[in-house]
Amino acid sequence: MVLIAIIIGCLLGALIGMNAPTISYTYSSYLAIAIIAALDSVFGGIASVINKKFDMKIFISGFFGNAILAILLTILGEKLNVDIYLAAIVVFVWRMFMNLGTIRRYYVEKWTDKVKQIHEQKLDTKQNTTKDIQEKEV
Amino acid sequence: MKHIQKGKITLIIIIGIACLALTTIMFMQFKIVNQGDINELEVMREEELRTELANWKANYEEAEMQYKQKMQTLEEYNQKEISDTETAELVKKELAQVNLLLGKTDVVGSGITITLKESQSAEAPITSDNLNMIVNSLKEAGAEAISINEERIINMSDIVLVSNSIIRVNQQRILVPYIIKAIGNQAYLESALLGNGGEADKLMKLGHDVNIEKDNRVKILKYNKDLTAKYIE
Repeated sequence: MVLIAIIIGCLLGALIGMNAPTISYTYSSYLAIAIIAALDSVFGGIASVINKKFDMKIFISGFFGNAILAILLTILGEKLNVDIYLAAIVVFVWRMFMNLGTIRRYYVEKWTDKVKQIHEQKLDTKQNTTKDIQEKEV
Repeated sequence: MKHIQKGKITLIIIIGIACLALTTIMFMQFKIVNQGDINELEVMREEELRTELANWKANYEEAEMQYKQKMQTLEEYNQKEISDTETAELVKKELAQVNLLLGKTDVVGSGITITLKESQSAEAPITSDNLNMIVNSLKEAGAEAISINEERIINMSDIVLVSNSIIRVNQQRILVPYIIKAIGNQAYLESALLGNGGEADKLMKLGHDVNIEKDNRVKILKYNKDLTAKYIE
């Protein structure tokens, strides 16, 4: 269900985004920083699901709040003539990598566990068959 | 069970909305980046516009400087041309003046014409000395140009007596009547000759026929011999 929702949302978003009027190039930097913030929130959400700490309120507030805050910071940086958006990008991308690391580790561990389980199962069946043979011989 | 279902539906809706928002702005951004011609003035960022403006300003300044330089050179050329024509005119004028003074041009002006007719009954003939004296007197009176029988008297002119009877002016024999023309102040010239002790007066007393005529348009011809220096280095 969640996957379907994600796919439908993405498709609809792509359609709307492609048909939306072009925004002035001046605002493209704000949009870019908002995208980065939102992506960070998405990865953070996935990581928290894995850690079983997922909270809908935190995710939604992070998703929109971070994006808006990043845009506001960029505007403030332009007003102060300081490239604050660089700091925002660094922080978001760093967090994205951290979350990606968590997700990766979780799945790698899951995979290794599975492999281990299969290996043990194989070993068990082998031992059982040898036991049976020995018993038969006895 | 119902509660869980409701929570799941809201979760799905919220995730869907989040995905929708994210992809929407992402595709909008892709569109901007793809379509936005960076060279188009309307879509440029402020910094880019500033740089572009600075470039144009620099170009403009360079062009302005070149224009100024060209204008300056042009003005210089113009001035040079003017000064060239001025110099040429000045030189021309000077040359004319020098020619005038040297006697290389025909001149016309107010002056006097003296006609000396030798009389056989006179006590003494007219000699080159008399002519020399007359010329000197005329020069002293401020004559600007003098000629004897159309022989222009210049600074190198000679008035000599050869074999006691032949008078030569400018190495050219002259014959009676001697017509001396002079341009200058008529009164001065006349008085220099006719006054007491004047050469004309002397000749008259000797019995020669001396006639002095005032004329407002005395024409004196140019010196017609070669003036090229052969020995002056």
